[in-house]
Amino acid sequence: MLRTVLLALALASPFTVPTAFAQDGPLRIEIDEGVIEPLPFAAPTFIAETPRAAALAEEITRIVAADLAGTGLFREIPMAAHIGRITSFDSPVQYADWRAINAQALVTGAVNTDGTNITVKFRLFDVFSNAPLGDGLQFGGTTASLRRVAHKVADQVYSRITGEGGYFDSRVVYVAESGPKNARQKRLAVMDYDGANTSYLTDAASIVLAPRFSPAGDRVLYTSYETGFPRIYALNLNQMTRRALDDQPGTMTFAPRFAPDGNTVVFSLSQGGNTDIYSLNLANGSRQRLTSGASIDTAPSFSPDGRFIVYESDQSGSQQLYIMPAGGGEGRRISFGKGRYGTPVWSPRGDQIAFTKQYQGRFHIGVMRTDGSEERLLTASFLDEGPTWSPNGRVIMFTRETAGAGGAPALYSVDITGRNLRRVSTVGAGSDPAWSPLLP
Amino acid sequence: MNTGVIISGLGHGLLILWLLFGGWFSRPEEAEFTTTEVSILSETEFLALTAPARAPSIVNEAPDVPAPNTELAALPPVPSDARPTPAPQPDQPTPPNPEDEPDVSRLTPAPPKEVADDLPDLPIPPAPEESANLIPDIGAPRPVARVAPTPSPAPTPELDRAPEVSKAPKPSEDAAEQLPEDKDAAPEEAAPEIVTEAEVTQKQGTAPASSIRPTARPARVAARPEPKPEQKPAPAPEPVSPPRDALADALAEALSGSGDAPTGPPLTFGERDALRVAVSRCWNVGSASTEALQTTVVVGVEMTPDGKPVQGSLRLISHSGGSEASARQMFEFARRAILRCGASGFDLPKEKYGRWRDIEMTFNPEKMRIR
Repeated sequence: MLRTVLLALALASPFTVPTAFAQDGPLRIEIDEGVIEPLPFAAPTFIAETPRAAALAEEITRIVAADLAGTGLFREIPMAAHIGRITSFDSPVQYADWRAINAQALVTGAVNTDGTNITVKFRLFDVFSNAPLGDGLQFGGTTASLRRVAHKVADQVYSRITGEGGYFDSRVVYVAESGPKNARQKRLAVMDYDGANTSYLTDAASIVLAPRFSPAGDRVLYTSYETGFPRIYALNLNQMTRRALDDQPGTMTFAPRFAPDGNTVVFSLSQGGNTDIYSLNLANGSRQRLTSGASIDTAPSFSPDGRFIVYESDQSGSQQLYIMPAGGGEGRRISFGKGRYGTPVWSPRGDQIAFTKQYQGRFHIGVMRTDGSEERLLTASFLDEGPTWSPNGRVIMFTRETAGAGGAPALYSVDITGRNLRRVSTVGAGSDPAWSPLLP
Repeated sequence: MNTGVIISGLGHGLLILWLLFGGWFSRPEEAEFTTTEVSILSETEFLALTAPARAPSIVNEAPDVPAPNTELAALPPVPSDARPTPAPQPDQPTPPNPEDEPDVSRLTPAPPKEVADDLPDLPIPPAPEESANLIPDIGAPRPVARVAPTPSPAPTPELDRAPEVSKAPKPSEDAAEQLPEDKDAAPEEAAPEIVTEAEVTQKQGTAPASSIRPTARPARVAARPEPKPEQKPAPAPEPVSPPRDALADALAEALSGSGDAPTGPPLTFGERDALRVAVSRCWNVGSASTEALQTTVVVGVEMTPDGKPVQGSLRLISHSGGSEASARQMFEFARRAILRCGASGFDLPKEKYGRWRDIEMTFNPEKMRIR
């Protein structure tokens, strides 16, 4: 029997194989596997169009290159390896020189300054296509905003290559911590996404927690213990003025977050041992209760379209994630894995939810789809918590605290692929980061 | 009692053994079967078959042989002498036809009728190429070719035969009187024509040649609209084009493949896989957006004979699973992969260039997505 089968197969093969390879029209092949590695790029020092612009050009070039390389998606080819030389912004590019060092993208630029203002123009080239990738662009600003201008250039390069928006020209507000664990001082601080230009928004007189940017990036919500109880405040960054929200005696308010429209705030209010989620209209001060029951409902976060709220609740007996309509109502549980889930944050793209997971004594930062499927844990450590999304939804920043008496919190970022985990440079220890939208 | 049983048992045993194995020792005589295909022809059909052989020859000759005709005209008696050879075949129609110059003139009109009888659907006579290819045995057309060129030089070789033919006239006594006058010319004519007629008749007797035609031609006629063949006989050039439609094109496609590029057999699995792997190595989606990784794109590219992609030929043919923007993005990644790894030329078999000159690559990032 076996012999018969083999014989049949042997006879059939010569006829079936040609059929499989029968070719009608162009040759068709399918590529379903590629490589995932940083895209090599070259960024020769931008041309200084005036002598005094030389130092600025050097600095801007370094910022642009660092932004791109910091994503983990790009790899800079050291200048020492460059064969080609860019002597003029408008001179034609010798692609062969850049192909020779396997640079797939080439960024060229020129900087001009009058001492007060600067203008930066750049071009991006697809080396192997022998063609520019998009048109040349020019940015202007003061010399003080040099870093922002450089971030703008990097955002453009990033966007043109990856097809998604950048996140370099953005800021991060966080809690800067100092002092020993048992006498920790906490202040609100704000910095560029890369840790530069740090400034403090509050003093160390009271403990502050969980700052959150407004959708426009002009205000910050945070929780302060200056009255002895947690209380929500809104800080206007332009005017540096603040006001308390929903200041009612006998209650504790915390975990605030703006709605996408910027006019509504959702937060947790604890009263009589029960914690529920409320929304507050900033214009008229009206308050609406969104959850009810004996469970602890907290950490609300709006979907980008403002229609839903994801939050954490222990109504099932353990801390899990739920989604409810923005106007309140029955929550639908979306997390069903082992362990406890908390601090959910809806992605700016709207397709995923980041969260903190505690399981078997370790903490994780993870993401899942909005229906709870495809849960992926991106990190694992002694204590990871408080994720926040980059403006383009590609990177998550969070707090990681080391164990032990000398342990201190620090900010980390990770790509949503789980790669490129790196510590964010901060002045001192930091926790509870919140990413701003892209700056205008 | 036992003896009888034993004898009976032995007898039956031998009988059984003989039945079982007897055939092994004697090779059965295999009756040899000879088969011959027989076609039934009516008398008219038979005449039609015999006539057409001449017909085409004469049709073609007619325009070319005016000169010999004049000579023939000058020698009326010879044909009568020549007849004795065909005479053995009791053909009634033949005796009245010949003897005079009109032979040629009569024959020229004849062909159309005969051809029409045999092959009503076939205006094919003008198609020499096909008939030559398909039916090399056909005797009809060849005599035409022979006769046409030979007529002028013919006189000299026939002169050799002339004496023989002149000797032959034995049977005809009347002709003897005229022979002395036209000895030289008469035999010359008689020889070539007789030979052709003999060959034609013999070949007609082998019917297979004519039986092949009908099988092949009906197919062609069916392939084309009927009106065409009617129009074609009038213009001469047609014979060239119609046969190519049916045969030449099919053969050209089968044998030569596409255009001028060399096309060998289809690429083997290994050759295709080598190309796939080569492109895969450069398909870097590490910097692709999550949305782009949801998009499958089909990219078309034209290759040079040395295996390098023609940069300007890269085009996005189609996409699925994403927006236009993400498709555009994935196209850029695909284009980069093709150009980068194809810069030094893909390892493709040059003898099969026609097979891979145009390539459509589907870039499916499903396995590359974040999970």
